[in-house]
Amino acid sequence: MTTEFDVEFIERTDRNARFLVRGLTPAFANGIRRAMVADVPTLSIDTVRFVENSSVMFDEMIALRLGLIPLTTPLDDFELGDTVTVALDVEGPATAYSGDIVTSEPGVEVADKNIPIIKLNSGQRLEFEADAVLDRGKDHAKHQGGVAVGYRHLQKVEVDGDLGEFDDEEPQILRGVIETEDGELIASSEFDHDLTKLYPGKELSVTDVPGAFVFHVETDGSFSVEELVDRAAETIGDRADELKNAVAV
Amino acid sequence: MMIPVRCFTCGKVVSEHYEEFQARAQAGDEDPQKVLDDLGVNRHCCRRMMVSHADLVDVVSPYQ
Repeated sequence: MTTEFDVEFIERTDRNARFLVRGLTPAFANGIRRAMVADVPTLSIDTVRFVENSSVMFDEMIALRLGLIPLTTPLDDFELGDTVTVALDVEGPATAYSGDIVTSEPGVEVADKNIPIIKLNSGQRLEFEADAVLDRGKDHAKHQGGVAVGYRHLQKVEVDGDLGEFDDEEPQILRGVIETEDGELIASSEFDHDLTKLYPGKELSVTDVPGAFVFHVETDGSFSVEELVDRAAETIGDRADELKNAVAV
Repeated sequence: MMIPVRCFTCGKVVSEHYEEFQARAQAGDEDPQKVLDDLGVNRHCCRRMMVSHADLVDVVSPYQ
């Protein structure tokens, strides 16, 4: 069975996107969301070998901070469990930034260069060598490529008529994306999340559109939003194939 | 001590913007709300990471 999904972008940047998908079941929408969070692997610093750490933080505290730094991950070049060596050497007085980290692979670099790791005073020094490993969000949250991934129903707004002359106009707060009667898609931030600003003096009814979901996807910089969604859909396909083979007679 | 690298709740990298936020809103005279909006720190979980952080590295640095 192959079904075509109708995908429409509402907002799209490299790290942040909002898109509408039609023809999904709620279970499948959630499957994609979960795959984005738990199944798409990213590189993250895992084992750290300290050469010198005379800063005010313990080795373990610095290692934890290092693990959370996003690294750009060219997924085509790596397999699960592959490692990349990274290193840093900063002497105080200075702040060690994520941008000071050098990596052994040209395609792999720190996605955000301005993250302060530790502030060093004069005489303090931080030098280490570390292995970044490719693993999945399932195993550790630091490997999650998607940040705050979620979805909402698309909501259809219909005008039922005019508001009575003496009726109080109360604000109608709404979040997400609405579909107007002409089929136009409007993000609620455009009308300050208040429907009465878009339709002043109207009697409105809001209903969920069945099978239409508006995803909001943000990545930590490991890869683009497209890559994250594509890979997530791919892992669902792979697991379905696996199940098919496992139960084949 | 240092600002946490990511937001505890959603995982967005917030420390990236901390020094600018500090300089503009806490040391400077800009409105913290506008600075956070400008930096793209939109969710309230990420905002509290910035607003409620007390940087104590300089306090502990003479010791050890």
